[in-house]
Amino acid sequence: MQENISEKRLGGCALGGTLAVTAFIRDGITVIHAPQGCAHQMFSGFHAMMADAGLSRIPKVIVSNIQNREAIFGGEEALAEALDRAEEDSPALISVVTSCVPETIGDDTEGVCAAHPASERIVYIPASGFLGGSSQAGENTALIRLAALAEPKEPIPRTAALIGEKNLESEVEENYAEVCRLLNRLGIKVILRFCRNIEAAEIVRLGEAAFFIIRDERVEEAGITIANRFGRPYVSAFPSGLSGSISFLQEAGKACGIPEEEIAEAVFAEEEYQREQLAPFAELAGTSVALGFEPFAGCHAVAREAMERIGISESADGMPVKLPFYLPVGAAGVLKMLYLWRREKRR
Amino acid sequence: MAEGEEKMSCLENPVMPCAMTGACAVLSGFAGLSVVIHGSSGCYYYPRSILRTHLYSTYLLESEIVFGTVDRLQEVVSSLEAEGKPVAVVNTCIPALTGEDLANAFSGTDAVFVDSPGFSGNAEAGVKAAYDALNIQCTDVSAVNIDGICGLDLFARGNLHEAQRMLAVLGIPVRLSLAADSYAKLKEGAAPYSVSANPAWDSGVGENLGSFLFPDIKETLSALETRFPDADYAALEAEWKKADETMFYYADKYLHKYTPPVAAVAGMKSYCRFAEQMLTRYFGSDIAVSLPREEITDYTEISEKISAAEPDIIIGSTFEASAADAAFFGLTHPDRSRISMSARAVSGIEGGVMFLEGVLNALMDFQKR
Repeated sequence: MQENISEKRLGGCALGGTLAVTAFIRDGITVIHAPQGCAHQMFSGFHAMMADAGLSRIPKVIVSNIQNREAIFGGEEALAEALDRAEEDSPALISVVTSCVPETIGDDTEGVCAAHPASERIVYIPASGFLGGSSQAGENTALIRLAALAEPKEPIPRTAALIGEKNLESEVEENYAEVCRLLNRLGIKVILRFCRNIEAAEIVRLGEAAFFIIRDERVEEAGITIANRFGRPYVSAFPSGLSGSISFLQEAGKACGIPEEEIAEAVFAEEEYQREQLAPFAELAGTSVALGFEPFAGCHAVAREAMERIGISESADGMPVKLPFYLPVGAAGVLKMLYLWRREKRR
Repeated sequence: MAEGEEKMSCLENPVMPCAMTGACAVLSGFAGLSVVIHGSSGCYYYPRSILRTHLYSTYLLESEIVFGTVDRLQEVVSSLEAEGKPVAVVNTCIPALTGEDLANAFSGTDAVFVDSPGFSGNAEAGVKAAYDALNIQCTDVSAVNIDGICGLDLFARGNLHEAQRMLAVLGIPVRLSLAADSYAKLKEGAAPYSVSANPAWDSGVGENLGSFLFPDIKETLSALETRFPDADYAALEAEWKKADETMFYYADKYLHKYTPPVAAVAGMKSYCRFAEQMLTRYFGSDIAVSLPREEITDYTEISEKISAAEPDIIIGSTFEASAADAAFFGLTHPDRSRISMSARAVSGIEGGVMFLEGVLNALMDFQKR
């Protein structure tokens, strides 16, 4: 199959993806072996996201601060110094991630980590900046490496662990709430958000979950690897759209071993809920809309399903409407999209 | 390590962008110049997001590092040059380390090459590298340049407008705004003199006649008068005096109710100095701690110093805002405490007034909590 070169080029760097996981272990510290600018980019991004969410905690990252000198003579000493500084805070876990620079200058990052007095609490994640691939590759690598901290245990009935939430998306908590709303219909409890504002000691709970819910295909590699390691079923993505919420309930119920009658009851209740939630958009019935560019694969399908339910038609010269950048999660994501459409109709 | 260069240690949550970002901030200020980041998309996204301007990239892949990046760079640059636009290339860490002769890859073309990889320093190093590469020549035109406008400055647009207004009142023509002008104009040459809106981001082009930061304005007007004796200075001097009186009036009102605010200031050295001078003049304040970005970029260290100072007001970026329970005024990028769309200034006469107004409101809002 021919590679999609554009997509590869636009995928960001693995360092960013790795940090988007490790920085969300509350009692851990991430050490970045890189020039300070790489760390600033991530810190700045976290700061923006936290401000958006009204949170004051900013994840701590320590950067070895590779400069001209290290670029010429090597940066291992700078990394050891950064590890010493991290250790001063006695963190529960030190995640060490690399940018493209130490890979290019030939630093033995793994060796420095292994030789450090705190090595037992250090997890080395070879992100390697863009030399390690895209942001997606970094996320998967980080999740797989961190999952190695957990061992299989007896699964707790009706429990789930989420894998690979998009920590940097602005609606991450709203999406989580929607997933929980659906799981509540089946009496399923989320015991771990791997890794979303958790403590390092909680990672072991991966082994207790009855099944896993993978955020989306972006972290499919990590999700399937983890599921196979623990020998547990998984649901491959958060629910997208209206019928997606129904199939999510069916898949989650099945993965959790819930009786079919109980799943059917949950599905019936959700269908009723969706009908109620769509009622305020009845004024859009008979409207013709132009969907335009599809920002994320599957958005059009989700939108068209909602249109069919309400009685909205589609035409190229219809009212231009906005689509969510990512797939709308659950019914809640669809409703937010429809509010934007209703505003367009009313203005 | 060069002689005299001090080795920086590791940093916690560094607060300054890298040299590559600084170079992009300058180059993207010149309309008509296509700026290409020669690096991966991971390097590209950050300057693209904070500068909110159009940038290009070679979006390098690992395979291109192995086999050489010149072909990919030439492919991207050629496609832009085919549109008739001049191009500037900003280099990033890995192509800089692999030792390819990128600077000579475009010999014989008008492309500008800026070697400012992230490991070479912070944003100010990149700003300098970009101006060095642009090699701006001065002409003997009777005008001034407005210097110190930079996309990394929260107030760049407002400062530019205010400097243009003040020079219009004086009747002195503006030749070039650095970095906020057209590339075609830049190629025609700069004026022999410059006034700065914010000295932190000066290009060094032309003879610097001083800054338009409020405490410096009188001295700058005097320097301008030696070069442009026919300009009308009376109106601006009267305006400055009126602004000064207004600020004293409101500062007095504040001081009738409250003690002089103790301040912690963080930002580029020029803005730190400006804030200190303004608070000292109008409040007789103590500056508990001043933290210039050129000297300190470790967020934890900055936070600890601010916390220990127990300030009444923090003047800096929102990185510092939560370091102590105090009022906050955003002077330094980033300011995520507010939505900001308008062209606010802190430079010039109106900028000085806006600054003091902002500080007073922040202090009083905090008192009312």
